[in-house]
Amino acid sequence: MLARLLRHRMVLPAALVAGVGVAGALSVAVGAGAQGSSSPVQTTTTTTTTTAPGSSVTSTTTGGANANSVAGSAQAGKPTGGTQTLRGSNGRACKAPTYGVGPANSGTPRSSIRRCSGGQLVAYGNKAILYQIPSQASGQPPSQRYLAAGESLFEQNCSSCHGPAAAGSAAAPNLVGVGPATVELWVTTGLMPAQTPLSVQAPPKPPRLSDAQAAEIAAWINSLDPAAPYVPKVNLKGANLADGASLFALNCAACHTITGAGDALAYGTFAPNLHKPTPTQIASAIRTGPINMPVFSGNLSDSQVRDIVAYVSEKIQHPTNNGGFGLGGVGPVAEGFVALLVGVGGLVLVCYWIGERA
Amino acid sequence: MSEIEEAPRGDGGAPVAVDHDAEHRSAVPMPVARFDDPHLGDAARHPRRTEVIIALFLIVGIAGVAAFGGAFVENASTQVLAVSFGVGLFGLGFGLTAWGKYLMPRGPFEEARHELRNSDSDRQAMAAALVERTGVVVKRRRVLGGLLGTGFGIFGVVAAFPLLRSLGPVPGKTLFVTDWRKGSLLVDVNGRPVHKDDLQPGGLLTVFPNGFENTDNGQAVDQTVLIRLQSSGNIVTMRGRENWGPDGFVAYSKVCTHLGCPVGLYERQLELLVCPCHQSMFKVRDGAVPTFGPAPRPLPQLPLTIDPDGYLRAQAGYNQPVGPGFWERTTPAWENTSPR
Amino acid sequence: MNTFVKPRTQREARAARGRYGRVQQIVDELDDRLGIAKGGRTFLDKIFPDHWSFMLGEIALYSFIILVATGIFLTLYFVPSQTVVVYHGVYKPLDGMRVSEAYASSIDLSFAVRAGLLMRQMHHWAADIFVGAIVVHMARIFFTGAFRKPRELNWTIGVLLLILAIFNGFLGYSLPDDLISGTGIRIAYSILLSIPFVGSYLAVWLFGGNFPGHIIIERFYILHVLILPIIIAALIGAHLTLLVRQKHTQFPGKGRTEHNVVGSPMYPTFMAKTTGFLLMVTGVIAVMGGLFQINPIWQFGPYQADKISYAVQPDMYMGWLDGALRIMPSWEWVGFGHTLPWEVFLPAVIFPGLIFNLCLVWPAFERLFTKDQSIHQLLDRPRDRPKRTAAGAAMLALIFMVFCASSTDVLANFFHLSLNAVLWFFRIAVVVVPIIAGWVTWRICLEMQHGGTAIGRRKRAMVISRTAEGEYVGVTAEQRPGDEGEELEPLPVPRQIEVEPPARLGAAGEPVGASTGVDGGNGAGVRRVPR
Repeated sequence: MLARLLRHRMVLPAALVAGVGVAGALSVAVGAGAQGSSSPVQTTTTTTTTTAPGSSVTSTTTGGANANSVAGSAQAGKPTGGTQTLRGSNGRACKAPTYGVGPANSGTPRSSIRRCSGGQLVAYGNKAILYQIPSQASGQPPSQRYLAAGESLFEQNCSSCHGPAAAGSAAAPNLVGVGPATVELWVTTGLMPAQTPLSVQAPPKPPRLSDAQAAEIAAWINSLDPAAPYVPKVNLKGANLADGASLFALNCAACHTITGAGDALAYGTFAPNLHKPTPTQIASAIRTGPINMPVFSGNLSDSQVRDIVAYVSEKIQHPTNNGGFGLGGVGPVAEGFVALLVGVGGLVLVCYWIGERA
Repeated sequence: MSEIEEAPRGDGGAPVAVDHDAEHRSAVPMPVARFDDPHLGDAARHPRRTEVIIALFLIVGIAGVAAFGGAFVENASTQVLAVSFGVGLFGLGFGLTAWGKYLMPRGPFEEARHELRNSDSDRQAMAAALVERTGVVVKRRRVLGGLLGTGFGIFGVVAAFPLLRSLGPVPGKTLFVTDWRKGSLLVDVNGRPVHKDDLQPGGLLTVFPNGFENTDNGQAVDQTVLIRLQSSGNIVTMRGRENWGPDGFVAYSKVCTHLGCPVGLYERQLELLVCPCHQSMFKVRDGAVPTFGPAPRPLPQLPLTIDPDGYLRAQAGYNQPVGPGFWERTTPAWENTSPR
Repeated sequence: MNTFVKPRTQREARAARGRYGRVQQIVDELDDRLGIAKGGRTFLDKIFPDHWSFMLGEIALYSFIILVATGIFLTLYFVPSQTVVVYHGVYKPLDGMRVSEAYASSIDLSFAVRAGLLMRQMHHWAADIFVGAIVVHMARIFFTGAFRKPRELNWTIGVLLLILAIFNGFLGYSLPDDLISGTGIRIAYSILLSIPFVGSYLAVWLFGGNFPGHIIIERFYILHVLILPIIIAALIGAHLTLLVRQKHTQFPGKGRTEHNVVGSPMYPTFMAKTTGFLLMVTGVIAVMGGLFQINPIWQFGPYQADKISYAVQPDMYMGWLDGALRIMPSWEWVGFGHTLPWEVFLPAVIFPGLIFNLCLVWPAFERLFTKDQSIHQLLDRPRDRPKRTAAGAAMLALIFMVFCASSTDVLANFFHLSLNAVLWFFRIAVVVVPIIAGWVTWRICLEMQHGGTAIGRRKRAMVISRTAEGEYVGVTAEQRPGDEGEELEPLPVPRQIEVEPPARLGAAGEPVGASTGVDGGNGAGVRRVPR
């Protein structure tokens, strides 16, 4: 009876559908479950230093592994917050945001070059990278009209999720005190405005706002609570490509692959492909650590970042492909398929021509 | 019964010469094929069109191979060299194969399969040769045979000694120890000591004990990943490790406990170290406990301390062997700790 | 000829040589010294069955020849040393970097040696194709039952060749000491460590100390260019010798029995086709070697133990082991003072050991199962042995699933899925898909048996009609008129061939000089138009 049942002609299609359905359901369930799972992390935090308003040190911890929170990214560049008085290169004093302590020339206002204007630090850095505040003309602080334009753009494009005062909401983090580099990076790469605010990781898409508009929004958000880092402008002249390659291999290749092709990380997160970003975007990402990227500030000097940016701009984005078609730069996976399909497959077709069919 | 041909003997018993020529006039089959026999295909004819097509391919082949020569002399690019060489050889090969397929006798022809096996009497003769002669030798010379066998056996074993043992040292303690000691100064890959202000929260750095950042052992075994989770406060990853993570810093061995790849992939918001080789995932706040993937044990944690000048130092070495498991590894994974 | 008379004219000289001229002279001289005439003729008359699937082994053989040829070129430039040097060569982005001599010489090969990159890439593609062709050839042998008595030894040699080819490939791509292959060497070291009792000794002995040591590239080098190629070449020689001695198998068909071989003769047909095929294989590999980039080590940088890249799968013939390592759960035994890392030992040592041992014992297993001890010279059609075909399909599906499991991160990135979900999918698929594949194959074989297509050059169509109830019924079509003469009766290889003279029309408009009859066998076999 069972044998007859198994011989029924619908058994095969039913089994295939059932098998595919079960496998698919299991994968989705496991994937969804894996994404949401995170053991509550309890830390016994004995805070001894005062934390600046707006900096949410605890939010990075009690939020657990919820990948939705960009709060960590936003606040990472601002461990202590606040402002300090610095002397510009012309000797005049001006107000500058505090941004860690760190060694000199490692992405903080503690740099060889400091430019003050209108009582505000408008640029800092060194020959390798110059960090500038976004404004209508470089070397000047942003004017009221500039800030008003930024506020209006923010209201139209961002306030629905981030709140009218950029203070954040359930769907989006607090942007006060994140610094202009972060804002400009996210908007010029098109990650923001977000398509679906509740996805695991904001998916890459073409930018909706122009670079100028991104700069205006960044200036306005920065005006709420000035923070570093400013928007980096990288001077690629004099970069050492070999050092850049070595630093890239040590710090970046583990996520982005050694050819910069990008790859899938845990629980639905991704390290993006590095073929499109501009030098400014690369340097901003390195210094601010967007989404799940670590923050490389203090442990990499500006000239080291310049070397990495030069390596990415020249050798990652324009790779030497002397050997022919690059097969996507993903390495042996693609090579294996080509060897089997084109190589062995093609030669088997030749055999089919040479030999007989019977 | 074997049939052994004896040399013919003349009078007096001496062997005489035999006329072998008679044997050389052998009976070879002499079939003849007409030129229009279908078995020959077009072998005996001159089909113009086929010949022209094959000739064209051979000309392409000649051109390609000659072009390769020229390209080589001119130091042309790899693509030009490859296409000329490949097209040339392929053209020649295609022409030759087409010649064989269309213009040569294609058959079907047959040849007989002679049985591989020999006659039963041959088989018995061979077995007899082995058994009888061996029997004569071995049955009577057991002691000698035993001694010889023992000699060869021992030689077989000791012959492996130089092949294996001379290759390298015994493992000893090399898999159990690193160069981290009490008070070791953490340095980065360029030898710069790491100050607590050098790393922002969310930062990651590969560190080594001072003086070992350029050695093989330093890079392969001592390599440690230093992460700053927050700007202040102790990070307690497990019970018993209350002061291992000062000021938001934690440090783990970078050698994956699965197969030894450097665990350089850190996801800042998820606080997850992911090994790029086989995607084992380690939760950084919980003592690098593996929560997914094939890694069996947490990454060993390096106890940190901050010296009076603000530089990071190790309180002690690792409390267990770093890296993948091996037979002699005895330290329990959770030594000196227990999950909180 | 016992008396020698010096010929006076060219015509006399020609006559003195006999019907086959100088060639006869050469054959006579060689035969006097070497006795080659009879054996040589047998060799030239040797018959090779024509089926296209019998050429798959030649793909492997010829890619091996290309490996040796390109490999010799590479050995003239490669320096197998881990000594650290500062690179100051042609490729500027590496200028000033401290790299091993092995890496530096590989970069020089790629940029400074003329045609060096072509040779490197041809060598690498040929290695992939070599292993792929062995697997395809092995599948053909398996599915047609060519491993049965008397060819079990040849099957064993073939499986050993597959193992050695895979291993030699691993050694070969590890030689340039770049970031990705160096990671593979680290993994190999850890796999050795995982072996119980002797693992740590084996690992430390092979590497001359703890990882990375200073000697592993040199040891890999001598294994890769000398020791393993000698063994592989010897095994290939034995493989071909057995093939010549036992003669090739053939599919059943008209005039084909267990006691003959039917096909085309060695000289000239098979020699031409196979030599042409050698040239074509070389051509394809050459084109791939220049148009498709493979292993661009200058983009990877030198291997250093604290550096790593993502997407570091090994080459495809090792990829199945990487996939097994990824999907294995983290089961490690710790107790009684010892550790047994099952999460490494099982997928990296036990699993391939089981697979290869299953391949090695398969002929004996099948003999046991089918109780068939007779000699087989005719092949099976795969559909006629559904259980064996289904088992082979299940095995191929398993290996393919495990191979795909090694690219979980690339697949997750390409299809924008969660990495964890993709891994779980493969953990399930590795078990489920082979079962489904085996069962589906078995059903297909049974269906095809009922179809009953005739064996012969011209396949007969199957006409599918639908009954009123909706059931599909397949019936073999009638043989087309004119197809009856397609199959020719096999003949012995002819000694003499009449050559058609170039067609010339005589005064009456008829072709002149056409032959009129079958030669009796002792006259002039070659007819020419009288001048």
